[in-house]
Amino acid sequence: MRRALRIAGGELTLLVRSRLALVGIAALLLLSGIAAATSWTHMTHERLARAEGQAAADHDFDTQPDRHPHRMVHYGHYAHRPVNALAAFDPGVDPFTGTVIYLEGHRQNSAVFGAVRESSSLMRFGLLTPAFVLQTLAPLLLIFLGFATVSREKATRSLIQLRTHGASAADIVIGKALALALVAAAALAPALLALAAAALAQPAEAMAALVVGTGYAAYLLFWCCLIVAVSALAGASRTALMALVTVWTVTVVLAPRVGAELASRVDPLPLRAETDLLIQADLREMGDSHNPDDPFFNAFRERTLAQYGVSRVEDLPFNYRGAVSAEGEALTSSLFDRYASETADIQRRQFDVLQNFAWLSPAISVRRVSMAGAATDLDNHLRFLEQAERYRFDLVQRLNRLHADGLSFADDSARSRDLEAERRTRVSASNWRSAPDFKFEPASASARLTSSLLALGALGAWLAGSAGLVALAVLRTGRAD
Amino acid sequence: MEPLLRELRFFWSVRSGPIMLAALMALSVLSVGWGLQNIARLEEEAAKVYTLQAVDDLAVARHASDPGDAAYYTSHVVHDAPGPMAFAALGQTDIAPSILRIRALALEGQIHENEASNPELSLPGRLDFAFVLVYIAPLILIALLHDTWSSEREAGRLTLLSSTPRSSARLWAPRVVVRSGLVLGALLAPLIIGSVLSGAAATDIAIASLLAAAMVAFWTLVSTIVAARGPSSTVNAATLAAIWFGITLVAPASANLAINALVPIPNGAAIARENREAVHDGWDLPKDGTMQRFFEHHPEWVDTPPVTTPFHWKWYYAFQHLGDVHVAETSAAYREGIAKREEVAGTLSLALPPIAIQRALHRIADTDVEAQLDFQDSIRRYHADLRRFYYPYIFEGRRFEPTDYALAPRFVSSESQ
Repeated sequence: MRRALRIAGGELTLLVRSRLALVGIAALLLLSGIAAATSWTHMTHERLARAEGQAAADHDFDTQPDRHPHRMVHYGHYAHRPVNALAAFDPGVDPFTGTVIYLEGHRQNSAVFGAVRESSSLMRFGLLTPAFVLQTLAPLLLIFLGFATVSREKATRSLIQLRTHGASAADIVIGKALALALVAAAALAPALLALAAAALAQPAEAMAALVVGTGYAAYLLFWCCLIVAVSALAGASRTALMALVTVWTVTVVLAPRVGAELASRVDPLPLRAETDLLIQADLREMGDSHNPDDPFFNAFRERTLAQYGVSRVEDLPFNYRGAVSAEGEALTSSLFDRYASETADIQRRQFDVLQNFAWLSPAISVRRVSMAGAATDLDNHLRFLEQAERYRFDLVQRLNRLHADGLSFADDSARSRDLEAERRTRVSASNWRSAPDFKFEPASASARLTSSLLALGALGAWLAGSAGLVALAVLRTGRAD
Repeated sequence: MEPLLRELRFFWSVRSGPIMLAALMALSVLSVGWGLQNIARLEEEAAKVYTLQAVDDLAVARHASDPGDAAYYTSHVVHDAPGPMAFAALGQTDIAPSILRIRALALEGQIHENEASNPELSLPGRLDFAFVLVYIAPLILIALLHDTWSSEREAGRLTLLSSTPRSSARLWAPRVVVRSGLVLGALLAPLIIGSVLSGAAATDIAIASLLAAAMVAFWTLVSTIVAARGPSSTVNAATLAAIWFGITLVAPASANLAINALVPIPNGAAIARENREAVHDGWDLPKDGTMQRFFEHHPEWVDTPPVTTPFHWKWYYAFQHLGDVHVAETSAAYREGIAKREEVAGTLSLALPPIAIQRALHRIADTDVEAQLDFQDSIRRYHADLRRFYYPYIFEGRRFEPTDYALAPRFVSSESQ
């Protein structure tokens, strides 16, 4: 082991002395540092902007004057998806989704305003975040630094020299891998620092940060092992380089895209406009509150009248119009829920297809661990959509209850003709203040970790495989002389 | 001809060359095929939307004879049909909606609606022809060209070959031409077949082919320069891969970061909120003032009788429009900010030929950010037409007959105007 350390030291000295390698190391550290710093600044700005947006929306809602409750149903509210503590490390799908939803009665809007539609097309080349640097850039730079580590010694016959000085094949291969791992660790350092800072700011996320950090360490270690093993197994440095760049291209660049493309065609998503129209069509089948002869709402009236033992809606102890609004909202919301859960199911199935590619690409595995840990994955976005819809429904029904109980049917019916009646249909503004605010609940850290267990397993398998390759390389190198 | 055939035979004799070429060919065929299917599916879905919308229109027409109701309940399809070259560069087609349903109400709350896309699939990027051209083809070219000189030197043949009394260009040019030509062929054959299948105009096909050729020429040039000067095959390959890495991965990501930091845009959510405030304030503001402000924008209705009832549709649509007017300036600044970011990206990419070529391909395909902004501009124009269509009914108190629904203007996208 001491010899392996000496060889690692020698390799590092060589890397630092070679100008080209030094440039590579410097570039890696610089990229990692810039990514950590800028991503931190950007996501902090984003977190504040969304928190301010939510606070402004809450304030707007709370300070509305006395008015008719149905006006508030149409006034609506906004739900912003907050930025998780670890999002600066890996923004994940956050920039590719809308971040705010307008919540109003009878309608389900989409989440709007996300970075991908506010940036130039360059964004589709990748975002310079710590996650991107570690997943995509670092392995290729490690390849540049490490592809010749063993093959070079073979070519210059210095391998034999090292062996005669008593270094075993294992010392040499492991020593080289160690040197490369130290470079990788240096590249990982700014990212880990960012993770640690986030964990300190929000201790509940410490466990997630630890798992994410471990995931990346395993991922980079996988590459270090692979690089040195291929360097030792390849006949020449160039063969090693070509083989490694090919593996990188296939697993890091190609596999995620092929996976995504296959996922999208195995289970295609309908267009939003189509879903909206299908909901409208279903709604007309089930009940149309605008149609005076609609069987669904006629039945509702008969049922309500019978329940209260009266013959006219005017005689009901509450405002029938409010009850109709509530019944209508329950109907539309049940359809919203059904279609939204169908859409979410398709997205989850697509996601599962993509995840199967984790067995073909360690980059997909580490991305999964990273995004689940940072709570910036599809699941987090779907949770946001679901919770926003739940909040919308509860808020609208609260207003509909006010509509039914807070004003009289006679005034409500006359309000668009009679100014005095209109004034009497306004309910107190205190009702807006007492409505609860939207609070997004991300999945708990432990639930997120559980959901990334499979990807962690795949990552472990990749690491074990590359360690096996190192063992093979040691055997082959030992037998070579 | 003879030297080219010689190089062709030589290329086939070394196993790795044909394998790489086959891989490139397979990927470019796959990307073109999938691109065509993706666009075809988008169009099928759009057709479904039109069909469903027609049913919806009929249902609305059954109940609404009041023009206010008609305008309120009728949605109008706006559709940015993908152009014939969209299959080659899918661009923003996954995240920016190509089809929306617009009503004559305040537009600001409608125009930013998003498509129900799966962000997890958008994150890795699309596998389209543009991807193969900018990511994969250069790597294959580098693999095929980095050792043009060094392989002979390393095999000990260089001195021998150089000593023959012919200019060195005549010796090496055929090899470079054959290898780059094969790469270009593997790219162009699927691209041209795909373009013809998708009914692209000859000029578009020619431009796209030229862009592909420019990409191959750029990387051939870079590879040849490095190969001619580099010390060994290994160093050449590493240098070229590092150049590719810098241009294709590091530079665009860094540029995007810099652009977004240097070109700020107004907060979209704040604009939406302000628009809502302006629209809903309309309910409580004195009706006369609202109407007067509306007449400043639509003087043609200044003689309409004043609103005396608590509710009137003409007042309702007046304050809907005033809500849009209220945020018109910030909304334009938001649009201009995005346009500016795209413009700066275009300028920066002039320093990075592969990125510039990739962007040009997206321009031809009409799937870039500019296309997204153009679509929004035509939606705004269309929305103005729509309002003007409904206003006479609403302001003059005319009945909206079932036959009137068919008279509403239809959306025409900017390209076909």
